Amino acid sequence: MAFKKPLAAVAATALAATLAACGGGSDDGNNSGSSGGKAEKGGNAIFLVGVRNVEHWDPQRMYFGRDLNNSGRLFYRSLVALPASNDKVEGTTPIADLATDTGTTNDGGKSWSFTVRDGVKWEDGKEISCEDFKYGASRNFATDVIIGGPANYLFTYLDIPSGSDGLPEYKGPYNKKGQDLFDKAVTCDGKTITYRFKKAWPDFPLSIAQLRYMDPYREDLDKGDANNFAIISNGPYKLDGAWKEGTGGKFVRNENWDENTDPIRKAYPDTWDFREGDTDEAIYEQLLADSGDAQYSVTERRLPPALFSRKDEAGDRYTQVESPSVDYVLPNFNSPVFKDANCREALKLATDRAAWIKAGGGDQYFKSADSVINPSVPGYKSNPAFEAMGESGDPDAAKAALDKCSAPKPVKIKFTYSGGTPTSDKQASALKAGWDKAGFQTELDPLEDTYYSVIQKPDADFDVTWGGWGADWSSAGTVIPPLFDSRINLTGDSNGNDYGNYKGGPEVNQMIDDAYAEPDLDAAADKWSAVDAKLGEDVAYIPLEITIFNFVHGGKITGYANNISVNGYADLAVLGVQS
Amino acid sequence: MLAYVIRRLFAGVIMLIVMSIVTFALFFASPIDEASFICGKNCSAAQKKQTSAAMGYDDPFAEQWWKFAKGVVQGRDYPDDPQLRETAPETIVHCDAPCLGYSRERGDTVTNLIKDTFPVSFSLAVAAFILWITGGVLLGVIAALKKGTVIDRGLVGLSLIVYAFPTFFVGLVLYKFVAIKWGLTEIPRYTSIAEGGVGGWLSSLTLPAITLAVFFMAAYVRMTRSYVIESFQEDYVRTARSKGLPERTVTFKHALRAALTPIVTMAGLDFAGLMGGAIITESVFNYPGMGKLAVRASQDFDLPTTVGLVVLLAAFVIIANIVVDLLYAVIDPRVRLG
Repeated sequence: MAFKKPLAAVAATALAATLAACGGGSDDGNNSGSSGGKAEKGGNAIFLVGVRNVEHWDPQRMYFGRDLNNSGRLFYRSLVALPASNDKVEGTTPIADLATDTGTTNDGGKSWSFTVRDGVKWEDGKEISCEDFKYGASRNFATDVIIGGPANYLFTYLDIPSGSDGLPEYKGPYNKKGQDLFDKAVTCDGKTITYRFKKAWPDFPLSIAQLRYMDPYREDLDKGDANNFAIISNGPYKLDGAWKEGTGGKFVRNENWDENTDPIRKAYPDTWDFREGDTDEAIYEQLLADSGDAQYSVTERRLPPALFSRKDEAGDRYTQVESPSVDYVLPNFNSPVFKDANCREALKLATDRAAWIKAGGGDQYFKSADSVINPSVPGYKSNPAFEAMGESGDPDAAKAALDKCSAPKPVKIKFTYSGGTPTSDKQASALKAGWDKAGFQTELDPLEDTYYSVIQKPDADFDVTWGGWGADWSSAGTVIPPLFDSRINLTGDSNGNDYGNYKGGPEVNQMIDDAYAEPDLDAAADKWSAVDAKLGEDVAYIPLEITIFNFVHGGKITGYANNISVNGYADLAVLGVQS
Repeated sequence: MLAYVIRRLFAGVIMLIVMSIVTFALFFASPIDEASFICGKNCSAAQKKQTSAAMGYDDPFAEQWWKFAKGVVQGRDYPDDPQLRETAPETIVHCDAPCLGYSRERGDTVTNLIKDTFPVSFSLAVAAFILWITGGVLLGVIAALKKGTVIDRGLVGLSLIVYAFPTFFVGLVLYKFVAIKWGLTEIPRYTSIAEGGVGGWLSSLTLPAITLAVFFMAAYVRMTRSYVIESFQEDYVRTARSKGLPERTVTFKHALRAALTPIVTMAGLDFAGLMGGAIITESVFNYPGMGKLAVRASQDFDLPTTVGLVVLLAAFVIIANIVVDLLYAVIDPRVRLG
């Protein structure tokens, strides 16, 4: 995840994480991670949102993993959703939620149909209709009002032509320009909705299980941007009063939710109190002391390094989870030095991942990465291109490669990174030491708020930069194209998320198109893995690490689980509190 | 006097206009692409362009400021799109005059945001003010009356030490030890009178108000002490004593009364400054006041909220200054305004 706060960036929307209770760091994905006894009905639970406030509760605008997960567990249901499970397969396989089944396609994924379940209602008692789903989908196209969501995927696939401005010719339900185009692409027949795509979208159900952009919406209650924090619930809880940005809100039971229609949400606590604004230190001082309200609290914020040594105070309330993202560095293909493949090879061989991890706090905080694809995503394979560099780089091989590099010696490079904290500066210095040992002369260039604005400029003068990304749903198709497909990223005045200005050319473009077109998801995963191998050969990126999240939850929480189905965060669908 | 007030008010309005222009200018001088922040992580160049247009950031700087200024006088629609007004009027937010803008990040008008946050900052300011004025002046007077004794030295020394501690340090110590570790108070969370009654409201203010007050209290002890000591050396005190007035009357009616005048003036200005939000205290205790809002608005590059708060805070200070200047004329006959 890129924008907003660079540090929060690593906690992207994404797939999953493996969990090891109490510091294990196992990656078999099957540890239960649950603690605190069996959950039962009743009591008041608290979710400590912390300093990163909720940006949107509008389902079409949400794009942050924590909020996508929590809303899906408490008050927004979708056609299909992921069950509460930490099993690598079960936890990432959609089951029917508001629909009667997981969707049907008769043309290899070029169109998908779902039938809305009987007896499912909105919080005001109105039945959820097919038209509500159609209206929800249409809102994605009002790109001047419904801003911030993952609509781009829908623009790529839904069978609506694009205009000269690069955006779809349908402009959304508010001005209805091009409405007939949308009405052809998305149709309702009784309770059955059908989506028609330009090309096959085999994992469409998975995408709508993990993102909320295809959730239903009420046309009669839509106020556009003013509804950014409005919640029209169809799940077990509804908002009591208004959401106050910066403070939070309280959720109470929604009497119009029928648990017999819902295979996922257990809805144990009577209320959920969402609190915004506490610093990580304040949250964890309370959680470690396990006093007062903190006993009934869970959070997505991570144990701050300054309090890490006190983790044992929490006993089995302390859990460790691998992040669903990967952090990496990239050579800038527009830089005079790294235009040359030999120079990129030297940079790769000189990169000391172990030193970067050590400077960041060690193996309690990071695990070494060997691909930009997170191991939890289908298609992940250790990228062979990075095997030669070892954990600490290979200075001798790097020197040899640097001899072949055409840039004048010593090879001066500028490393622009997301700085502003002592840790990030220490980590950058650790990489510099490795590179300099091989014969580079590295200048460090830490940037804070301006970071993304600078590195997204194709003419920026950095030679190496940093990025972090997690899949939007369990597919490498939500990792490689958003980061390295030059056709969507390099648009003249911006490089999008392709910070290294990498241009794969016809060969890579064809490989990406083939992977997209592959109807069989396992075969598609292999194709994405092949694209990743090619990116490795070109040194389009150099993987660094996967962050490890350290969590503590309150002592009166029951049924606590860091499930793979909610990216390894606390699964609010199944936890309760002791009364 | 009336002409003076009108002149000062006019200068105040000019000052506010300049402040708003400077805030706009600083915002647009920054190299940060604010539309990217709103547009999200997977935003194409075309979407970013449209986002920028929807937020009005693609208008020339002068035009944006002019629309803001016009909104203050006339009110404003968000988005100001005639076509949308036709086809989907329910999606338009009308912001009544004086409209300070509409924050997309917070999904509300700046006026509403201020209405929500002002009571928190005001409550905190009042509670802290009462603590520091009573404590600071009382201890300052005691120190002055006991000048040179152990009590005086102790009070002056203590206030010097307290004055040296930064507010965030005092706040964190109170938060971590008094509230969390020792459990002497509840974990502070702001509670309005409507939610918790007067008792709940007051108790929710205890720790933050103490945090905010100790710094001022320390300053006021020292200030009061020196004003009172100075006052005792004035000719009129000697005259009063020589007339044979009892020491009590000399102290309270002559010396203290004269010494307190400048303190009241200072206190007025300090209080006005705090009404705009105690940034550090509100941040440490996570109190949803104007200070915390200002911090978040600047972190999120939320121009409308930032400009609105700057203008409001400037207005507080300007008005407080005018009031203080007028009060001088009332209190001290030597001051003539005109």
